[in-house]
Amino acid sequence: MPTALLVTSVVNTIQIGSLYALMALGITLTFSVIRLPNFAHAEYVTVGAFAALIVSLSGEVNPIVIMAAAFVVGALVALVSHLVVFKPLEGRNVSLYTLILSSFAVGLILRYILFMIADSFNLFDTRIRIPLQIIYREGALILTNVFAWVAPTSIALVLLLTLLLNGTPLGREMRALANNISLARVIGIPVERVKNYTWILVGGLAGVAGALWGLQTAVSPLMGWVAILSVFAAAILGGLSSFSGTILGAYVVAFSENTVMLFLNFNFGVDLAYKPAIPFFIIIVVLLIRPQGFTELFNRSRDLQR
Amino acid sequence: MINIDIGATAVAVLTLFGIYSLMAISLNLEYGVAGVPNFGQALFVSIGAYVAGLTYTRLLPLLAGEGVIHPCRGTMGQALQLRSEIMATQPVAGFINLGFTFLFAAVVAGLVGFAVSYVTLRLKEEWFLALVLLVGGEIVRIVVRGADDLICSHNGISGVAQPFYFLDDPRASAVLFMSLALVLAALAYFYSQRLVHSPFGRMLKGLRENEDVTRSLGKGISLARAQIMLIGSVIAAAGGVLFALNTGFVNTNDYVVTLTLDVWVMVVLGGVGNNRGALLGALLIAIMDRITQIAAIALNMSGSPIEFNYARFILFGVILLLMLRYRPQGLLPESPLTTDAHEILRRVRGR
Repeated sequence: MPTALLVTSVVNTIQIGSLYALMALGITLTFSVIRLPNFAHAEYVTVGAFAALIVSLSGEVNPIVIMAAAFVVGALVALVSHLVVFKPLEGRNVSLYTLILSSFAVGLILRYILFMIADSFNLFDTRIRIPLQIIYREGALILTNVFAWVAPTSIALVLLLTLLLNGTPLGREMRALANNISLARVIGIPVERVKNYTWILVGGLAGVAGALWGLQTAVSPLMGWVAILSVFAAAILGGLSSFSGTILGAYVVAFSENTVMLFLNFNFGVDLAYKPAIPFFIIIVVLLIRPQGFTELFNRSRDLQR
Repeated sequence: MINIDIGATAVAVLTLFGIYSLMAISLNLEYGVAGVPNFGQALFVSIGAYVAGLTYTRLLPLLAGEGVIHPCRGTMGQALQLRSEIMATQPVAGFINLGFTFLFAAVVAGLVGFAVSYVTLRLKEEWFLALVLLVGGEIVRIVVRGADDLICSHNGISGVAQPFYFLDDPRASAVLFMSLALVLAALAYFYSQRLVHSPFGRMLKGLRENEDVTRSLGKGISLARAQIMLIGSVIAAAGGVLFALNTGFVNTNDYVVTLTLDVWVMVVLGGVGNNRGALLGALLIAIMDRITQIAAIALNMSGSPIEFNYARFILFGVILLLMLRYRPQGLLPESPLTTDAHEILRRVRGR
């Protein structure tokens, strides 16, 4: 396989893996703290992307402002879906399948509202416009300012989130909720408030991930939905509880989708059409053979243990 | 305004009702009765459709005494023409082909369902099965689409005509096809009613409520789960065959998670654990399907700027959320099972 392709695919792995990490951490966080495998997470990403797109179409070129808008809208949508849908259900002690189904329903509603918006304003396959510059060029490898935004921003956010979880009172309270919600309530942690903050954080970061995603490829109402199972694969590799495991999982998924897929394509003639199946195989294999994922690789004292 | 042909609409809705009923009864047996969270219903439905795609392109010409033309690429049009000609002129070949389609679909789907049930034994948490099934359906879809020559990946197979296509009167053939769908749905319904009211059905409900207790009573739960998955998958695949015949083509794009969710909406709306509920859910969704379609066309023609086609999905999502929150037992709740022994006990106690 040519070196140039290899290098490009590794760059893609870093870029996409960082985005996956940002999204997958949200899924791990919701699953640990809220006890919900949230399939609507995909749509928080898409909503963020559309918010960013609309702001950028209004003439804004500063990526920080664009991402801030995506954060606010993503957080708002996540919080509303919690307050309107998930919180009332949690109160009634329903089965996990009810929660999964309602997360699917929330996703479905958001997705098709976005379809309506995209259709009415002709926003299909538009890219968030920031002036494109080439910042690095070496042979076939071209790095643009999009790469300079996407990868460092998502890595920085992932680090910030880890710091928040490990070093702040809110993070401690979240971990307490993840560990034992009744105990957390007994010792006086404001459970509902912590849950609200969790949703704001999760939705906001998903929104930013959407904005970054929209910088590198076109925005479409399906973009989050298409990525959600890859993201779930990353979270499952992290055992749905370990932060470090999830981040590693995200890069593993991105690596197998990009570099490994190209390798298989070049050396064994595997059609690129099979690429979307890779994260699915990862999910099935991990769930069947190693449901704890990477969790045992890391010191778990600071993780979201259950 | 658009003219609506009431008769044709009713036939279309009832055909869809028959097809949806098969899918809903299948999911109701699996999830409603036995508690297996089948989030891969699209997989089992798609097996029926893919098998139809294969038999219509490979078996049908042989049955009609013609040579098989490769259905994809350069000879695509030729193969389609041959297929349509056979379906229009040789009804016997069409019927035999359909019989084999049902047979093969049942065998493949049954095997897959049986195999899937053993996956559960190896899973750490119960809800992982939902994820495995969801993802399994997508894998099969991607692999079938990726294998170019199987059912022509992106193009799909068109001309998968229903067996009464040979009749000159399109209305008569539509009515006959509707009857076929309704008869199959009725068979599935009566069969599943018998099953639910049998000792086996009571054991499945026990399995749903508490696995350990059921096991402690000496019931083999993994075999029971395998059996109900097999039965459910066969019914879903039959629905898939009819679904493909009804639209007239087989394309992997139709068998996505959204289809699975549609079936879940039917079961949750009608009543989880109640076969009558599954029928009611299927009927309501078939009607709503048609109404949203007609409304979308009417609105588009009236020059509304908003595309109404998407409203269907939003509507189904809202229905699902409202049902789960306010009436989780469904419109027709499951009634307690009674046996002869219950009846005697009731009489002895005098109430």
